[in-house]
Amino acid sequence: MSDITVYTTPTCPWCTRLKNYLKEKGVDFHEVDVSTDYDSAMKMVDLTGQRSVPVLAKGGQYVVGFNPEQIDRILQ
Amino acid sequence: MEVYDLVIIGAGPAGMTAGVFAIRKGLKTVIVSEDIGGQVNMTSDIENYMGFQEIDGQALVEKFEAQVKEYQLTEKLMAVRSLKKEGNLFYIRTQSDETIVGRAVIICSGKKPKTLNVPGEEEFRNKGVSYCSTCDGPLFRGVPVAVVGGGNSAVKAALDLANYATEIHLFALSKLTADAILVERLQREPKIKVYPGHTVVEIKGSQVVERVTVERVASKERFDIPVQGVFIEIGLIPNTDFVDDTVERNELQEIKIDCLCRTNIPGLFAAGDVSSVPEKQIIIAAGEGAKAAIQAWDYLLNLPDSPMKG
Repeated sequence: MSDITVYTTPTCPWCTRLKNYLKEKGVDFHEVDVSTDYDSAMKMVDLTGQRSVPVLAKGGQYVVGFNPEQIDRILQ
Repeated sequence: MEVYDLVIIGAGPAGMTAGVFAIRKGLKTVIVSEDIGGQVNMTSDIENYMGFQEIDGQALVEKFEAQVKEYQLTEKLMAVRSLKKEGNLFYIRTQSDETIVGRAVIICSGKKPKTLNVPGEEEFRNKGVSYCSTCDGPLFRGVPVAVVGGGNSAVKAALDLANYATEIHLFALSKLTADAILVERLQREPKIKVYPGHTVVEIKGSQVVERVTVERVASKERFDIPVQGVFIEIGLIPNTDFVDDTVERNELQEIKIDCLCRTNIPGLFAAGDVSSVPEKQIIIAAGEGAKAAIQAWDYLLNLPDSPMKG
């Protein structure tokens, strides 16, 4: 399984943007829908200290929101 | 130097529609935008865009985008930093320091959510404070939340949050101004409590939001309500940071246009929510975008060195 996790909600436009961005770059990722998976939602809130999606996490690093510049930095 | 006939700033309903009309008129066109879809991305169910009885904002954006992609239109996904006119040409500088040159420009940069400007708002941004209920709503399952605002967006946010939150406190400065159909839905939802004539004056917590201080506007009486989320839906301000003072604006900071989408600067047009056109609706923005593109074409046709006479 990929070491990149993307936390999303189904109604979140920026989540779709983020997923499309990763797909275009050919980056494998594991998606977690926090609207149905409460434990993961809390794990995401603990990791980021924020209640906001999308979140891209890799190792201990994470990016909240769709920010291509920061995402590229983590992916390197 | 590459010179475009038309540069469209913004890719919401106005910008994308302008793009389609411009290309069909044979204009060499580029769209420069920070994102695709603009505010429509933040809208859940749209029930008043003709042709679709009900469509999700994101789905509508995808349809717009697919239609734009049918044509040979250059798209640049970057924010605009400045815009100036020298001689008969417009120079658009982007955040990534690229300069785009055009003979005519349509500004369709839309609006962004207004902030409440109260203590705690910035500190707890994304830590309970949100401007997008469609995005973050599901993260507030099983907890109480507040919504600030009384217009369509606020009422829609409250209705949306009723799917997740335990109780929704809706604070509106005066009585609700949302569409009657939405207000009726609101009244049928027992989880939502409406406080007309109230506003949030402070957002409090330690790591994340724990409560809000609310003020009754008439009596200045204050009280706290425990909530874990605060959704701010108090309207929008135009995205005009890149426009200098030579472009006339109205008291709402919207770019002033006449009924032909013309600004005070020849060759510079504006359309949609960023402009002074009354009523901000997707269908109106799209129509204005079409009108602006046709007007830009007409302007270009009548230039002494018209690119269309070549």
